[in-house]
Amino acid sequence: MMPALKGYAGQILRVDLTRGKILKRPLPPDLARGYIGGSGMGARILYDEVPPEVKPLSPKNHLIFATGPVTGTIYPPSGRYCVVTRAPLTGIWGEAHSGGYWGPELKYAGYDLIVIYGRAPKPIYLAIDDDEVELRDAKHLWGKNIAETTDAIEKEFGEPKPCVACIGQAGENLVRFACIVNERSRVAGRTGVGAVMGSKRLKAVAVRGSKGVEVADFDRVCELAEESHERYTTGEWGEVCQDSLYRYGTLGLVDWENEIGRLPTKGHQTGVFEHAREIGPERFVREFVVHRRSCMNCSIQCKKVSRAREGPHVGITEGPEYETIVALGSNCLVRDFPAVMRANQLCNLYGMDTISCGGAVSFAFECYDRGVLSKEKAGMPLRWGDGNAEVKLMKLIAFRKGIGNVLAEGMREAARRIGKGSERWAIQVKGLEVSGQDGRPHQSAGLTHAISVIGAAHLRALSSLDELDYRKTLTKRFGKERAKAMGDRLSTKYKGLLVKDVEDLYAVVDSLITCKYGTMWPPMFYFNDYAELLPALTGIEEFGKVKGLRIAAERIVNLKRAYNARLGLDRKDDTLPNRFLKDPMPDGPAKGKVVDLKPMLDEYYRERGWDVRTGLQKRKTLERFGLTDVAQDLTKHRRIAKG
Amino acid sequence: MPYVYCDPQLCTGCRACELVCPSVHERVFNPRLSRIRVVRLEFVIDIAITCRQCENAPCIAVCPSGALRKSRTGLVEVIAERCIGCSACSEACPFGAIELHDGKVIKCDLCGGDPACVKRCTPKALKLVSSEQVAEEERHAYVAQRTRKEVKA
Repeated sequence: MMPALKGYAGQILRVDLTRGKILKRPLPPDLARGYIGGSGMGARILYDEVPPEVKPLSPKNHLIFATGPVTGTIYPPSGRYCVVTRAPLTGIWGEAHSGGYWGPELKYAGYDLIVIYGRAPKPIYLAIDDDEVELRDAKHLWGKNIAETTDAIEKEFGEPKPCVACIGQAGENLVRFACIVNERSRVAGRTGVGAVMGSKRLKAVAVRGSKGVEVADFDRVCELAEESHERYTTGEWGEVCQDSLYRYGTLGLVDWENEIGRLPTKGHQTGVFEHAREIGPERFVREFVVHRRSCMNCSIQCKKVSRAREGPHVGITEGPEYETIVALGSNCLVRDFPAVMRANQLCNLYGMDTISCGGAVSFAFECYDRGVLSKEKAGMPLRWGDGNAEVKLMKLIAFRKGIGNVLAEGMREAARRIGKGSERWAIQVKGLEVSGQDGRPHQSAGLTHAISVIGAAHLRALSSLDELDYRKTLTKRFGKERAKAMGDRLSTKYKGLLVKDVEDLYAVVDSLITCKYGTMWPPMFYFNDYAELLPALTGIEEFGKVKGLRIAAERIVNLKRAYNARLGLDRKDDTLPNRFLKDPMPDGPAKGKVVDLKPMLDEYYRERGWDVRTGLQKRKTLERFGLTDVAQDLTKHRRIAKG
Repeated sequence: MPYVYCDPQLCTGCRACELVCPSVHERVFNPRLSRIRVVRLEFVIDIAITCRQCENAPCIAVCPSGALRKSRTGLVEVIAERCIGCSACSEACPFGAIELHDGKVIKCDLCGGDPACVKRCTPKALKLVSSEQVAEEERHAYVAQRTRKEVKA
């Protein structure tokens, strides 16, 4: 079958696990035109097919694997895919992104998306070999970790090896922040997508493809790819990319964030870690890095393989990334680098999100410290900074043993179960553990955490423009007068506009799908770049104008927001823990600061055209982005603003 | 004769070479058609493998239909119309650098002297080098390693 549109594989794979039925459906051109791909397309399908009464771990919930028009092409970086579902950790819109090779392979096999629903009667895995798609028995794989599962499936396929995305024991045990891991170390981490897979008794999705991707204007795509590669590797931005990301990976951030007082430490109590050097990039490279790696067709190459040669935590792992070193390191006050590496490795093997898992550990440490959790109840002393206790907790959580069974529910629910006021230090938003930023020294990061559609994550709307005061870029995008105020990371002025703009940009990035490196940092690609790229890939003219692309971006953002609104979320949920709103930052350059959320939130809603009082969307706003049917649906559910 | 050499110390396994190669030769984005292929072993091995343009090429020796030959410049080249698609070359090549696609053999032709994969290699792991140049580099690396202590002192 000829693909209806260029740039896409042209098919959706729909898998009903209950009945064991597999359907191939052509990709509707309107879906591509309206929602680009990736999490945009995922949003439309989830909104239409998973109504609010369907609980996250119900068989009726959908698990959607999605690629976009960039995936698998020569335009770097093109190795990403995303998973979209109603999330078990938060109960709301869930999405998680991953790199590696799995996404491209799915397109080479001839599919843009996989939509999975139902629940298999017994453990199975989905095997895709170009046009041959089948559900295979996975009884022998159940109970196996990520590496063992991947090895076994690779063996079953033979050469050429397939790409395997699978869950570990954490996903099987419905740990609420279980993740999906592809190629052993690339992770669709957040919101508990792995638990949805586990609830469906789907152990893995293995893909092998040989078809390649066709684009609308081959020469133009090659030209733009060449230009993109140049930008990543040469010139002002290219040099910083190579100096920092190639050399240290994301871990390079540790020093800088500590300097500006934004390195989450001791359960986000402070932003300065006195032992940051011990978990910092120089030590990482000097003592532990043994090999550098990359995702498919990337011009940055930020991945590191690290190895601890001696001590109790001898082992080899990919990572840890910045977010992991914060979540399991500074935020737990752990400065034992090999212990963090070991915890990271266990998260990768059992299949758990390191950010949420680290959040659970720091929460447990704080409970213990404040006398809310006894040594007997915890099964061991849980002292701040104890790397060995942290490593032990990994296993307890993944297998839901002892205190691990409580922590495996995620911080919000764990606090509810432990009680005794512990919700005060459950540092989460909408049920999602806060990622490695702090809004006090970086006000817009506070707004980002508050409004992010999946809960307190950094990848939906975090801006580095104000964090690093990229005045030239700010001026170009927002004008000189605004740029001056925006560039101050401690100021709240125009941050509503800034975060809205960045969120729109990421909606495009997450639909293409390409990496946040190049948009979040360094900020070298913007709407105009993708307006050039998208028509060359797809032949869809509407994407060729920045205005058209921005409308698509806002459509996607509004649709995801509507999904949460329909579930009952509104302004009251767009908030932060009191630790950011009321406790002044005790140290560093932002000493004495709290997050001044209200003015930023008001401005953000105004910029979005949403009701400032309730945070609900307005009919005319939704109609402006072609979401008339969504407006009607929200009206039916009484989740729309007046006017 | 120069060939495309991959330094496994530098290769990150990004497979950009696998995408670039068929984009130049077949004008498609499909790594399966690549004449250079990346091999990954956990956890620390990534290396791209392609034809070494052997001086006494076993693929030429075993080809029953004369579809492979050494060109005047030293390139091991394919005469596509003579290829019968028997895979004897794939069996003979010690590196797995030659294989069939759609019934005909494909292999590295050095893009006429300026290989696209080398140009696109982000970590600069790929180089177009002769045996002499590789040996020279290896000599330097060897000596530097052997005398590291003395050099430092």
